[in-house]
Amino acid sequence: MNVAYFPGCSLHGLAKEYGISVEVVCKHLGINLNEIEDWNCCGATAAHSLNHELTISLSARNLAIARDMKMNKVLAPCAGCFSRLKGASYELRNNSVLAAEVGEIIQAEPPVEPEVSNLLQFIMEDQGLNAVAEKTIKPLQGLKLAAYYGCLLTRPKDVVQFDDPEQPISMDLILQAMGADTVVWAHKAECCGGGYAASDTDIVLDLSGQVLESAQQAGADAIVVACPMCGVNLDSRQEAIAAKKGKKYDLPIIYLTQLMGIAFGYSPAQLGLKRLLTSPFPLLQSKGLA
Amino acid sequence: MHNTADFYHVLRIDQTSNSLREEIKEHCHTDIEMCLECGKCSGGCSNAHIFDITPRKIIQLIKIGEEAKLLKMDALWSCVACQLCVDRCPSSINIPKIMDYMREKAYKQCVPATRPNVELFHELMLGSIKQYGRVAEALMTVQFNIKSKQYTKDAEMGIKMFFKGKLNPLPSRIKNVQQVRRMFRNIPAQREG
Repeated sequence: MNVAYFPGCSLHGLAKEYGISVEVVCKHLGINLNEIEDWNCCGATAAHSLNHELTISLSARNLAIARDMKMNKVLAPCAGCFSRLKGASYELRNNSVLAAEVGEIIQAEPPVEPEVSNLLQFIMEDQGLNAVAEKTIKPLQGLKLAAYYGCLLTRPKDVVQFDDPEQPISMDLILQAMGADTVVWAHKAECCGGGYAASDTDIVLDLSGQVLESAQQAGADAIVVACPMCGVNLDSRQEAIAAKKGKKYDLPIIYLTQLMGIAFGYSPAQLGLKRLLTSPFPLLQSKGLA
Repeated sequence: MHNTADFYHVLRIDQTSNSLREEIKEHCHTDIEMCLECGKCSGGCSNAHIFDITPRKIIQLIKIGEEAKLLKMDALWSCVACQLCVDRCPSSINIPKIMDYMREKAYKQCVPATRPNVELFHELMLGSIKQYGRVAEALMTVQFNIKSKQYTKDAEMGIKMFFKGKLNPLPSRIKNVQQVRRMFRNIPAQREG
């Protein structure tokens, strides 16, 4: 299967291991990732915070290139990029005045054709749980995982139209298909603090702190993420949060595709597991998975 | 804490104003007249515990046309855009969109941001996109620390990230950066004054 691939800035930078493992897993599933040629940043929090037309236009350029590559689906594993691309696509489809303006700005036909999927949606709708289960040669037995969706993989519901906005289940099902247990917890779709990581770190320490606390109280061994902002915030701020609360978490924050790679028989080195700040190795070794 | 006594009361028709409500309807495609006053937006809000004005009160302020108060509220600069309010609203009132609209308006009118570092970070990120077409994470972090005078902020973490291969010291520029720059020129984020 051919799909347009939008890695976004984070998968080339702070969440490189997410990008590496997405590529490994997709190749294994027989998916050809066609990187959108010369893609630009989606504008992230900055553009939608200060300039609505710019945020739509930045995404429109990327969607137009995908369309010109004759791709009818775009896979955006970063939840932030996904939200911008999907949101722009939704507005271009539903607001013809805006679509015409954006067409002028990007000097191309407004790209309404390509569908945009996040990783969870893509696995559920285009691959299916059976494909994941069939490829599993090293079941994730004994792992108790907190599937963490954050905000943007399922919200806003009118735009995303996938899973439940506040009680999502898709990632739990994918992990279960690979033999893992998932915990029931309250914060699976709460916010980690997102784009405030550097600009107002206290917000991230507060909100990510709630997520870590909730996962620990539910008895999880690790938190599984499908978003670089969630991943980086929960991982890189964990020490500071623990110090602030006078507690210990030691919760590895693992990208979903890294665990898929392990279940499919790849080595930790092939999946960039060493790049995680909170080491997942003691946990994985104790379950015979690394 | 913000003094809420002056607007958090039952409204009579002669205390409301149409102008801001109509403006929001036109630009945000959302009709606050549909508000059921249930408060689910504030109940779900990720940051209601630090907001000076919570979402339900924001709707109330729009109804009475209190634009000045809305343009300088701290909530504009501490909203995480988690989309819980809009998804919980029985009338689908798009509060995140209203927040973006009001913030953009405040920015253009040069209303001082209550969290200047948040505004600065947004500006630096847009600057990076304009220059390179992508976000140069390492370079932008250094610029942010210098301009916000927090010279050693996250330095230790940055070093750790570098050795984990997560920070690219050199920014990469897209080939057709001119196309992206043209977008910025065509949509100037003009600030008055």
